[in-house]
Amino acid sequence: MPNIIVLIGRVLDPSGIVFNRRAGRLFVNREEYLLQPADRCALEAALRIKEAGQPKGSPSAEVVALPRTLLPDDDVLRQAVATGADRAIHLVGAGEYTGFANADDALMARVLAAVVERLGGADLVLTGATTLDTGQGQLGPRLAEALGWPQIVDVWHVEAADGRVRAVRQEKDGFVAVEADLPAVVTVLPGVLKPRYPDGARLINVYRGVKEMANALEQWDVADLVEAQALKPLVERRGQEFPAERERGARVSGTPAQMAQTVAEALRQRVRR
Amino acid sequence: MDFTFSPEHVALRRMIREFAETEVAPIAAEIDREHKVPHDVLHKLGQIGLLGICFPQEYGGMGAGEAGYCILMEELGRVCTSTATNVGAHIGIGAMAIHLDGSEEQKRKYLVPLARGEKMAAFGLTESNAGSDAANIRTRAVREGDSWILDGGKVYITNGGYAQIITVMAVTDPALGARGGVTAFIVETDWPGFKVAREEDKMGIRGTSTAELVFEELRVPHENVLGKVGEGFVTFMRSLDMGRLTLGAAGLGGAQAALEWSVRWAKTRKQFGAELALKQSVQWMIANLATEIEALRSLVYRVAWMVDNHQPFAQLAAMCKMYGSEVASRSIDVALQIHGGLGYTRDFPIERAFRDARIAEIFEGTNEIQRIVIATNIFRDHGVRIRA
Amino acid sequence: MADMSYLDLLMAQQEEVSEAEGGGGGIWVVADVVNGAVAPVTLEALGAARTLAGALGAYVYGVVLGEDVADLSATLYQAGADGVRVADHPALAQFALEPYLKVLSDLFEAEKPEVILFGATSAGQELAARLAQRMGGGLIEHVMSANLDESTRTVQGAFPIYGGEYFEVVACPEARPQFLTIEPGAFSAPFLDPYRKGEPKMLEVEPGEPAVRVVGPAGGFEPLAVPLAQAPVIVAAGRQAGDFGLVKQLAARLGAQVAGDRGARDAGWIGAEQIVDVRGVTVAPQVYVAVGIRGDTFHNAAMEGARFIVAIHPDPTAPIFQVADLCLEAEPKDVLPALLEALG
Repeated sequence: MPNIIVLIGRVLDPSGIVFNRRAGRLFVNREEYLLQPADRCALEAALRIKEAGQPKGSPSAEVVALPRTLLPDDDVLRQAVATGADRAIHLVGAGEYTGFANADDALMARVLAAVVERLGGADLVLTGATTLDTGQGQLGPRLAEALGWPQIVDVWHVEAADGRVRAVRQEKDGFVAVEADLPAVVTVLPGVLKPRYPDGARLINVYRGVKEMANALEQWDVADLVEAQALKPLVERRGQEFPAERERGARVSGTPAQMAQTVAEALRQRVRR
Repeated sequence: MDFTFSPEHVALRRMIREFAETEVAPIAAEIDREHKVPHDVLHKLGQIGLLGICFPQEYGGMGAGEAGYCILMEELGRVCTSTATNVGAHIGIGAMAIHLDGSEEQKRKYLVPLARGEKMAAFGLTESNAGSDAANIRTRAVREGDSWILDGGKVYITNGGYAQIITVMAVTDPALGARGGVTAFIVETDWPGFKVAREEDKMGIRGTSTAELVFEELRVPHENVLGKVGEGFVTFMRSLDMGRLTLGAAGLGGAQAALEWSVRWAKTRKQFGAELALKQSVQWMIANLATEIEALRSLVYRVAWMVDNHQPFAQLAAMCKMYGSEVASRSIDVALQIHGGLGYTRDFPIERAFRDARIAEIFEGTNEIQRIVIATNIFRDHGVRIRA
Repeated sequence: MADMSYLDLLMAQQEEVSEAEGGGGGIWVVADVVNGAVAPVTLEALGAARTLAGALGAYVYGVVLGEDVADLSATLYQAGADGVRVADHPALAQFALEPYLKVLSDLFEAEKPEVILFGATSAGQELAARLAQRMGGGLIEHVMSANLDESTRTVQGAFPIYGGEYFEVVACPEARPQFLTIEPGAFSAPFLDPYRKGEPKMLEVEPGEPAVRVVGPAGGFEPLAVPLAQAPVIVAAGRQAGDFGLVKQLAARLGAQVAGDRGARDAGWIGAEQIVDVRGVTVAPQVYVAVGIRGDTFHNAAMEGARFIVAIHPDPTAPIFQVADLCLEAEPKDVLPALLEALG
């Protein structure tokens, strides 16, 4: 039974995309993928828990990487293993349900719950609290519901010991420590931990599939895990909307007090405090 | 013909680029300004195995081959020429000599800690009377029982001020000269008789140690002879050939940085009501730059492929070094012109890159020597023997 | 003095909202309670619900959970709810997932809503995702605009991608209920009609046990420092900023990092590592407030990637006004105190 499961996803590097408001579309000039930054923090947290000899004091806790969406290739998982996960499982789907464009979080939660069950359970599931592109944080809670486990979301720090997970969250008045019994699902905010670099030799061996990394990657068929009807996504894409062209140089008029009002309105909309 | 990098090399490049931008780029200006070696960064590189990138995993290396090594040098060269130079001297000539000609025991004893970054290496060849004329070295090694006593010194040794292990060339038989009279020795720098006499105060790559070394009755055990006695010349030629290719890769990285800066500035800077990018003179400068960089890129990685596939590469490696250093110099010169006054100030990285680039045409075999190597190879294929 | 009582009668059209008898459908809004009052995002969600309800021909319901919160139902009616359910229980005094989830889950199993809206707050998002999974519904988070696909009675929600570069429009055509979390500030708050009243239905609740226990303040927890280049909100000062103390107050109020141009450095207000300049740090925050910065090429080039720029400077020809979205030709010392007050 694995001890810690980490869900990892990828996102198109936005620096390779040009968003053309006038044309109302985006141009992908350079198709390169990053690991979801929040998922990298989750993996880092998992590795630190493993290194601390946890959870449940086991010296060789296993960290298993799973994909957060259905992916066309296993590169993301190889990176996770290169960084330190012990193994990873690439989920291959049938026909039209492959590709990250189609899998939605409700669907993935069901699939991943089946994977966890097939793995014999786990102590802890860690994943990112939000995604860089879509800004959606529902996968962690959905999986927690599908597994019937407690969840702690949006954490700044997480540790596991003595059958419990303890995390730090930010409330209105400051940082608060919370805890729950294992097994649990915890989602980690982006940028709260510095993710480690993969070990070079391990990276080479993972990608070549040799030596100690020869069996690190497995491939499971989604059709073996859930029935075909359950693979239908609930959510459908209906198009894109581009914001109006940015108009720089708009003068704010009135007395200083009136100007302040206008600015305060605009800031309140944009700054979450 | 498959012009794609293998998946492990793509992943490697991604990892190294992130490292370079996160760990190396922020300190580049500081190490230049304060003339100090980035030991912290070198340590971090060692921790993830990058300081042994091309050496076999059995000896503590990463097993990524010459292609991997070129990727490392390119990505480091793109953010900090000083760091790339420290790494290049350590891997490409210092440790490389032991990798090429070391015995099993020597590899276990020396290559492993070097590949792991636990110790740093340097390559001791150049002397005040022997730069391009490398065979003119005077450092003497005399056999005494089961050791050799070295007397003499070296100049302009990169990493010389801090390396723990230096591959030193010494004359073992003055009568035979280069062919049969020079031997390579693995020297540990904490042995009595080894001294770092001074550090050079340089125009550029000020984040490197360029040291003058002195050997006074330096006792080296016979088992530290690298390769065979009298065959040191072969060792150092082979090491230099390997090092040349990766110097071209570092030049590629530097040229790439110059191009990126130039494009970014050209699209930002407005004069006479329009961005520089809309001026034809600037467009042509950028187009020329980009073309040379693509040509250099193809050359570098093709030669890396040849090395990894055990094909003769000496002539093309010389082309890489020569072309790479000159493209880098041209590129940064164009970048400086495009940035105008801003590029000339010390707050902006261009003036540092400009000073850093120049040395590449000189060290690791001057470009004149490279041209001789290339021409010699060409003419030899046509039956004409040229002696340097 | 004229007799005002007749006028009162005319004005006070006491709208007694008759409770829609439930039993299916409707657009439900789960209220967020902040400092004992209904949160602004809940009112905004009610406004959105009313618009959708109009097109769907459905009722709008509000649900409020907590302890001693029955009075809050009045605000929900004023904002446009046709019906309000109140779950008032000591165990619900503070937000905890399992207790709230059980109450809502029982309620919605019975009521079978068509659409359920939450505020996109931390609690709202947790609840929405968990409930959506439990009830087999689709969830769209951080919705900033919504319209209706009337043929299938499907809400199409638009949410920001890459922090707002564009918006993806997504819908859940079949699964019901449809869940959405509404981004604060994206919809306008509806007019609170003081004469719109109703009688809330008090729910009989048995909240579950919370699975997450609060241990206490995380004393000594030091979050990782965010480098200026990645700060999401920046307040930057220039030579004309006047009182740097006000600049720092504004930054504190917005949770922003402080920066400046070279003039601010020369004035001794900021360190060299806080200079926004091509020769210093290049930044790309969500919000950049330039206080008294004239804005030369080297400064502007280092911050024009900011998503939203406010500039305050007394000189109308200052180059900063060419890159700013909101330009205030005024003295910072006149505007900043008023701004601090307006922000509260």
